[in-house]
Amino acid sequence: MKSLLVNDIKKTFKLSKKQQKIEQTSDTKKIALKGVSFEAKPGEIFGLLGPNGAGKTTALRCIATLIKPDSGDISVDGYGVQHDSNEVRKRIAFLTNEMKLEDHFTPNYLFRYFSKLHKVDPKEAEKRKEYLFNRFGIDKFQEVKVADLSTGMKQKISIAISLVHDPDYIIFDEPTNGLDVLTARTVIDYLLEMRDAGKTVILSTHILNVVEKLCDRVGIIIEGEMKALDRLENVQNMAKDNSLETLFFELVEQSAVNEHV
Amino acid sequence: MYNVFTVFRKEMYRVFSDKRLVLMIFLLPGISIFAMYWLIGTLIQNQTEAVQSHTIIVYQENMPGTIQTSLERLSELDEPINMEFHEVGDLDETALKEKVREGDIDIVLRFEEDFDIKIDDYETAGAPELSIMYNYGRQNSSFAYTHISSVLNQYQASKLMERLEDPAHHEIFVTSYAEGIVDERQLTGQGFAMLLPFLIVIFLFAGAMSIGPDSIAGEKERNTIATLLITPIKRSEIALGKISSLALLSFISALSSFVGLAFSLPKLMQMDGNGVEYNIYEPIHFVLILFTLMATVLIIVGLIAVISAYAKTIKEASMLIMPFYLVTMIIGLLSSFGTEPSDQLLVHFIPIYGSVNFLSSIFVFQYAYLNFVAVMISSLVYTGVFIYVLTRLFSSEKVMFQK
Repeated sequence: MKSLLVNDIKKTFKLSKKQQKIEQTSDTKKIALKGVSFEAKPGEIFGLLGPNGAGKTTALRCIATLIKPDSGDISVDGYGVQHDSNEVRKRIAFLTNEMKLEDHFTPNYLFRYFSKLHKVDPKEAEKRKEYLFNRFGIDKFQEVKVADLSTGMKQKISIAISLVHDPDYIIFDEPTNGLDVLTARTVIDYLLEMRDAGKTVILSTHILNVVEKLCDRVGIIIEGEMKALDRLENVQNMAKDNSLETLFFELVEQSAVNEHV
Repeated sequence: MYNVFTVFRKEMYRVFSDKRLVLMIFLLPGISIFAMYWLIGTLIQNQTEAVQSHTIIVYQENMPGTIQTSLERLSELDEPINMEFHEVGDLDETALKEKVREGDIDIVLRFEEDFDIKIDDYETAGAPELSIMYNYGRQNSSFAYTHISSVLNQYQASKLMERLEDPAHHEIFVTSYAEGIVDERQLTGQGFAMLLPFLIVIFLFAGAMSIGPDSIAGEKERNTIATLLITPIKRSEIALGKISSLALLSFISALSSFVGLAFSLPKLMQMDGNGVEYNIYEPIHFVLILFTLMATVLIIVGLIAVISAYAKTIKEASMLIMPFYLVTMIIGLLSSFGTEPSDQLLVHFIPIYGSVNFLSSIFVFQYAYLNFVAVMISSLVYTGVFIYVLTRLFSSEKVMFQK
């Protein structure tokens, strides 16, 4: 089954005393996801929209097998994240700001290293490296240590390396964060290209503009709950003025009121 | 195995392509061990030479000529002891004490008047008195006392013999020593057994400690571990790749320390010219030592890897490892200053202690192959347990990602 299915996933984190102080709460637990479901299909970009701390990254980390949901199922190409996590990892590219590359190595070395871990044929890996490095303008810096590169260049290298195995599912968490306009444009163009090539793209962002430009379908997640889920135009139509921005603020306010009550 | 090798190679490349790490892990241990032991050896040598070349200042009163002659003969020895004799003269007790305390005088010998005549007339005159004043807090003074008291003991013995007129009475009993019992190799081996097992575990632990926390806790701290965990590689393969690379790197680091030690040992043991007799051991002994070292390094690295995976930061890992380092040092010391190595089979199943004990038994040629098998099997089992725990830790989102 060529799709990515998220079915009613729940996730709770225990809060350390340090985290309780940061979150200004006496609760020892935080419910990050309260039964989130959605489906992402080939040839479309699915946007997960939500404010900071809404649960977007947690949901994506569950899909990427880095953390396990307390309940619910996730399957990628029919493989479950709980029991076939290796099969899932073979099929996805995952990128989040919390994932870094080792400073000591060069982009060249890292690309080859991750190609080997993904068991990509060396000749094929070289071709992909050449293509991706040219596409993202990394080629001139391929022998420079990651430590000596700019934040934007590091982000582009992370993207290129996450794609070493030409995965069918691309899951990017805030991929344009911290990038200048030109670099962000390169990333967006590439994602569109991937969609057109029939890949499944999931994108999490809190930037409404990015969703409107890129996404075919969208899910709005607030306080760990999916508040809206449909094709972009249908979600926009849920607002009085057909604006995603208006709907987003209405949902955020509504959630705050419900919480207060 | 392919993934294990990929992780292994990357870890090796990380270290070998970093000049700073190469210097810190492979060159500095050897250089610092060599410098430290060479310096200690040189200082001991200088101290001994300074004491031996010192001219002992003796203040005396009524010293019999025979005793002075005997003392002066000490300057004719292969390692001569020179003395300078002065009369006590007008110096009173307080002045003499002060000068001995200050080190201006090394020893004061005040013999009763007509000392040797009174000894000869012992039946009527009684035992004459000899008053000795020296400062055992000063090396030169202690050195002077040691040698002078030995001459005085000889003088006393010769006088006693003179009193026993019948030569048959000079001998109380005859001692004979059986020859050919001591095994010279074993004798030399005891020296190695005292020093090396302790240093071996310390070097191995120090080597692993300088790399392990950075390789695992460092990856967590720098957020690079998630990039690895997102690849389709089994957690057990990451654990195996990390442990095997750490083991080899720690082994090389310890080897560097041994090279430093081997070069500084002749100086440390004051064996100038003759060198240290490493050749008392045969190839089989070196093979046994090598395998025991490899088994030990696996346990140490496994332990350090597990602690590093559990810790959130390099600093925390180093802190958590410290108590284990101290316990390992104590285990090493037990073998150095304890009794002979145990030949009990069960002892060889105790992690690290069993290895240290077996190393000691190799050095003194008292090893049993069954004990070797016990060390090997138990080390592999312990390493297996560490790999299992490490795999579980790599699979635990709480351990890997909780800040």
